[in-house]
Amino acid sequence: MSNRRGPIMSPGIARLLVIIALFAFWEIGARYDADPLFLCPPSQAIGALPHIFSDPKIVNAIRVTIYEVVTAFVISVSFGMIVGLIVGLHGFTKASILPVILLLYATPQATILPLFVLSFGIGPAAKIAFGISHGIFPVIVTTVAGVQNLRPTLLTAARSMGASRIQIFTSIVFPHMIPSFFTGMRLGMTAVLLGVLLAELYVSTAGIGFYTRLFAESFSPPDLFALIAVLAAIAVTLNELCRTAERRFSRWHAS
Amino acid sequence: MNRGVETAIKIEGVSQAFGAEGDPRRVIALESASLDVARGELMCLIGPSGCGKSTLLNIIGGLATPTTGRVVIDGQAVRGPSPQKIAFVFQENTLFPWRTVVDNVKLGMAFQGVPSSERNERAHEALKAVGLDDFANHYPAQLSGGMKQRAQLARALGLQTEILLMDEPFAALDEQTRMVLGEDLSVLLARTGKTIIFVTHSLVEAVFLADRVAVLTARPGKIKKIINVGESHPRKSNFMTSPKLGALRNELYELLHDEIRKTMTLRGETSEGA
Amino acid sequence: MKPSSRLPQRLVQIGILVVLLVTWYWETLPGGINQLLLPAPAPVFRNFWILLTTNSIWPDLAVTVREWITAFLIATIGGCTLGYVISRSGYAVRVFDPLLAGIYSIPAILLFPLYLLFFGLGPGSKIAIGSTIAFFPVVLNTIAGLSYVDKAYITAARSMGANDLQLFWNVMLPAAFPVVLTGLRLGCILSFLSILGGETISSLAGLGHRIVSLAENMESAQMFGNILFAVLMAFIVNGVVSYAEARGRRGMQ
Repeated sequence: MSNRRGPIMSPGIARLLVIIALFAFWEIGARYDADPLFLCPPSQAIGALPHIFSDPKIVNAIRVTIYEVVTAFVISVSFGMIVGLIVGLHGFTKASILPVILLLYATPQATILPLFVLSFGIGPAAKIAFGISHGIFPVIVTTVAGVQNLRPTLLTAARSMGASRIQIFTSIVFPHMIPSFFTGMRLGMTAVLLGVLLAELYVSTAGIGFYTRLFAESFSPPDLFALIAVLAAIAVTLNELCRTAERRFSRWHAS
Repeated sequence: MNRGVETAIKIEGVSQAFGAEGDPRRVIALESASLDVARGELMCLIGPSGCGKSTLLNIIGGLATPTTGRVVIDGQAVRGPSPQKIAFVFQENTLFPWRTVVDNVKLGMAFQGVPSSERNERAHEALKAVGLDDFANHYPAQLSGGMKQRAQLARALGLQTEILLMDEPFAALDEQTRMVLGEDLSVLLARTGKTIIFVTHSLVEAVFLADRVAVLTARPGKIKKIINVGESHPRKSNFMTSPKLGALRNELYELLHDEIRKTMTLRGETSEGA
Repeated sequence: MKPSSRLPQRLVQIGILVVLLVTWYWETLPGGINQLLLPAPAPVFRNFWILLTTNSIWPDLAVTVREWITAFLIATIGGCTLGYVISRSGYAVRVFDPLLAGIYSIPAILLFPLYLLFFGLGPGSKIAIGSTIAFFPVVLNTIAGLSYVDKAYITAARSMGANDLQLFWNVMLPAAFPVVLTGLRLGCILSFLSILGGETISSLAGLGHRIVSLAENMESAQMFGNILFAVLMAFIVNGVVSYAEARGRRGMQ
């Protein structure tokens, strides 16, 4: 534990170099050794981006997907929080209903995807519904957990000072729950993304599922890579927004 | 008392600094500590928090390298862990939770290099010496704090080293358990004749156990004074209540009181504050 | 909570179940919901029973299980190996761990169309997506397990003379084991779920494909029966894997 010299470069820069190296490896390997029907170098994928963005139908499909994610997310979070509060605030409801919710949470949702499409059709409704079906559970579970952590002594102290039920809720319960609310939001976003994307990819007659199937069946890797890269970027951005919100709003909480 | 004036461990001008020269955050834990420990002696190191006594122990045992100075054992400078000569007993629990007590003792011997045919017998001998043989097949999680420390001691004894270094081994235990374990340690020492260096915070424990007590100053740690206890081992329980112990304890108190105050001020704690 | 006082909660749960079943039966009586959308309970359970007692589902089930086991093995061997290699150096951990965690945050299902392109509609694309998704919890947990071994154990072992191999085998591995086991559980379950997902999206055989083709053929009662079967299987897998993890963790204290 004495005066050892630190590593030569910061981990952040090293990481960047690793990523660059991987892309370089991909680029060179794809140029010289790959069947162009299946694999293309990243430069070609990037080159296909303008093609993607110039086709209004593809852009629309992407826009619809974003709309589906945001809608499913908002509904999941609002309904999830309400259900979570109702279930979590009373010991009885928690003990009886939470196991049912956890049971539903554990079902393999991919198997009921065809059911959603049969019921809601191939439009955005099915995808939003499937997204909600994925996203609502982590929100409920984290909300319940957040309510759980509330120490009964805080409530007793407030009541002893004469606080009404509403005051207790707004000044103790609600602020206490904010960190777990934001955690639930982050997990909910990840889950909604999974649900919506799964549904979109399943419905291959419209939306981005149509284009992924089209590009795969016509063996155009640059278009496929480009489309997936765009979707991945959108997903990462949404996830990051939620993660940053979680960090910012949990900073005051001495977890 | 004196099992011979032969020196087992020579600590020569050991200093330990953390951080580079000129770095404002540089901490000098130890400054020019020199000490001779006789063979078969139990030496206690005592001092305020952060005075470097654990650091000194780690340096003696080869777990840390001093910035300046060196430690010589049996004519050879210490350069790294010497499992053949030195065994440690740590303050925290370092018993491996995934193994039974006897397997923990045997594993220590495996690390040291004892042939597997000898391990079982030696392990049970060591456990008997600390009174844990009945719990040989228990897991550490099933033992109380005092028993866990006994098990650590058994593991160290199983290594059959000449030197035993103990870093506040009883710190996490309640006072009553400490009393009992202290008496047992004294009996053990009388029987085995090991050279032991024992770090502690407790004044009474230091006087009760040690042949000599080295008092360290507040940081940077220097050896302030070495007190001779002059009582033969095994220490009897009536030594605990004797006036001699009381007097020595008082002497330690006076030596340490200012150092402790100094440490508290360094840390910003005073009697006026919280 | 004493078992007797759990009765009210159990009654509520049973009540919910009863209400659901009754509603289901009620709504599917003649004149109710379109049978194609929601078949009556009786034919569904009859089909479910047929699936449980005959071999009819076996060919598809075998495909799914084979894909799942292969994907899990690939993820385990790859993830544990890479995790071990990275954990050897604290610097490597600081470089690669956030990188892997970052990649994990991209919905991996997006890779599936690419795998369809590479591997076609057969088991290959399913194995690929299953192992990709399962890989991350395994590697991240392996790194975490091996890097965060309590320093006290390592110091103690070194002080007793342990060499690198002894240290790894006797200290690092057992200490890391519970965390790695959790990663394996997650990987096992995630690979199963993602393979079902892949089969649903595009496949030639397997449980997921079966359900999709029954949907396309408007065989609602059979589809529901198969969905029940898949759900049952998922519960069993979840239960067995969680139990195995709990046993494994207990054995290592």
